Amino acid sequence: MELGPLLILKELLKLCSPIVLFHVFWSTFIGMIIGMLPGLTATMGIALLTGLTFGMEPRMAIIILICVYVGAITGGSRSAILLNIPGTPANAAACLDGFPLAQRGEGGQAIGLAATASFIGTVFGLFCMAFFTPLLGKIALDFHSWEFFWLAIFGIIICGNLTAPTDPLKGWIAGFFGLLVSLVGMEGITAYARFSFGFDQMKGGFALIPVLVGVYGIAEVLGGMRDVVLPKVRSKVGRVIPRARDLINHYRHILRSGVIGVIVGAIPGVGEDVASWVSYDFAKRSSKQPEKFGKGSLEGLIAAETGDNACIGGAIIPVLSLAVPGSAPAAVLLAAMWLHGVRPGPLLMLEFPNYIWEVTAMMIMASFASLIISLAFVRGQVKILLVPRPVLMPIVFVLCVIGSYAINVRIFDIWVMFVFGIIGYAMRNYNYPAAPLVLGVILGDMADVNMRRALIRTAGDVSSFFTRPISLILIILIILTMISRTKMFKNGLSLGTAKIGRLFRKRKY
Amino acid sequence: MEYEFRRQDFYAGLIIIGVSLFVMVESWRMPRHLQDWPAYAAPGMVTGILGLGLLIMGIILTFRSVRRQGLPLAFKGADIIAYLTDPKTRRLGLMFALSLIYCLFLGRRLPYFVVTTIYLALVMITFRGIGPIKALIISLMVAIGVAVVFNRLFLVPLP
Repeated sequence: MELGPLLILKELLKLCSPIVLFHVFWSTFIGMIIGMLPGLTATMGIALLTGLTFGMEPRMAIIILICVYVGAITGGSRSAILLNIPGTPANAAACLDGFPLAQRGEGGQAIGLAATASFIGTVFGLFCMAFFTPLLGKIALDFHSWEFFWLAIFGIIICGNLTAPTDPLKGWIAGFFGLLVSLVGMEGITAYARFSFGFDQMKGGFALIPVLVGVYGIAEVLGGMRDVVLPKVRSKVGRVIPRARDLINHYRHILRSGVIGVIVGAIPGVGEDVASWVSYDFAKRSSKQPEKFGKGSLEGLIAAETGDNACIGGAIIPVLSLAVPGSAPAAVLLAAMWLHGVRPGPLLMLEFPNYIWEVTAMMIMASFASLIISLAFVRGQVKILLVPRPVLMPIVFVLCVIGSYAINVRIFDIWVMFVFGIIGYAMRNYNYPAAPLVLGVILGDMADVNMRRALIRTAGDVSSFFTRPISLILIILIILTMISRTKMFKNGLSLGTAKIGRLFRKRKY
Repeated sequence: MEYEFRRQDFYAGLIIIGVSLFVMVESWRMPRHLQDWPAYAAPGMVTGILGLGLLIMGIILTFRSVRRQGLPLAFKGADIIAYLTDPKTRRLGLMFALSLIYCLFLGRRLPYFVVTTIYLALVMITFRGIGPIKALIISLMVAIGVAVVFNRLFLVPLP
């Protein structure tokens, strides 16, 4: 049996051709521009490019999408540093220290450090992905209908919990709504058309891409055109290549943020933004100079950027092993893989044994391209930030429309996109997260088919849902996730911790 | 403490309750012994459960908003007028209307690149992004670019 690194090298060599390199560089560049421009997110970029690359050879299409993903998450730090506006939600934490650095005239150094930290984060994440996916894949082979049903519910609950930290109820509502949206149209067991009301187009259900482009893209376009124009970019960039000592001195933050990013990424539906904030928070707590955080701390910037990029690899782990996306952009990547004939999930290791290594090789190429472009074309990229929103947003709208239409060549999909754009806009304004909705659309079919299939297998006996070991673990996790947000639980926990603490404290006599 | 989304939550809760009740009724009306499958394999099984879950959450959201402090639940005429006259609302409405008209014209007799050029130029000029000549040139280039890439390169028939 060949070793993993050798297989990755083999795949890397297979991919090294001029045409692949050409696609890698232009798509990473486009991804970085998408990430840089406030209002355009990595999710939206991948969704748009899924439509654009639909007619391409599957391997080429996936490599382009991975490059856009990596490029967008890396590129988002540009506007965070220069404008104090995160290019993507993942780069929000980078604003806190990146912008003060730019104000001090150290914008170039901040961009260089952010790019290098992003590169290290991506590489760390992809190696974790290559190592853990086969392991999780083996465990996933023990998953059956009962477990898959609970996994879908767990995904929705934890995603709702983490993407709506102030009000998880809204996250769960969005998730349940997403599950219901996915169940419109013909179902897989009896071919009955649910909620189609006699419309032929509705019988096919709502495709993921139009829903996703609507919720993220159209909502963004409407929001972007409603709000006032952007402030001016700080033009002074300065030195870009980072100093080695800046990285070596902060190796602990890099390692810690890498691990946090991978773990957060592997949790279904929880994306790069959460990874970045958690990494930032941990870095601040462990820093010797926490007072510098928020005032231009290199530690904060490095932690945030390493965390969000390490999340990419982490988010792909459940995509490949369980067919459950770790983040919103990973959800689109999952859909794109399906569109191109790859079936991620427990059977991936049997059907496409080399696919994990292939994806790892693609990510290595994407991370290198991203680093080179980041460090080489900073000044050129900064100029793109000057494009006015009224010029940019209608172009994005046109791309959203054509991207949604190209998947099935149906005008109906354009209307689906439009309606979900309005829903997405309303959700955003009323504090409902979009990620659980998208995750729900992806996991809906899994929950539906597996629940009914499990009941058929046990002739209607529901006890298996609660007695199988993995199911039981998932149920406990779901309950814990839900009650962990209640006041009663929090009060009980703090009381319990205080009591236990008292037991171990030395008594004064 | 004042809760920012009190009014929105109340009305959203009512809508969620309405939608979930509709889902539950529709799920109940779905055939329960289709193609001799037992009732637990019925197509309305999971949708009914999800509808019930959504109903519970909708009720919690509505009751919670009633109990919390914040804006009064009833709308006043002045609130609606203030919202409608806000320049941001007008910009949103205009963008929404232009985009809706664009979507309505797609797939009709006019060629794709013509509809797209008109839409792009109209938005850019209306929102004063750039001058009219520049806007027209950019719009035409983008529309032709998108049309060529999709139609010639990816062989996707244009709407």
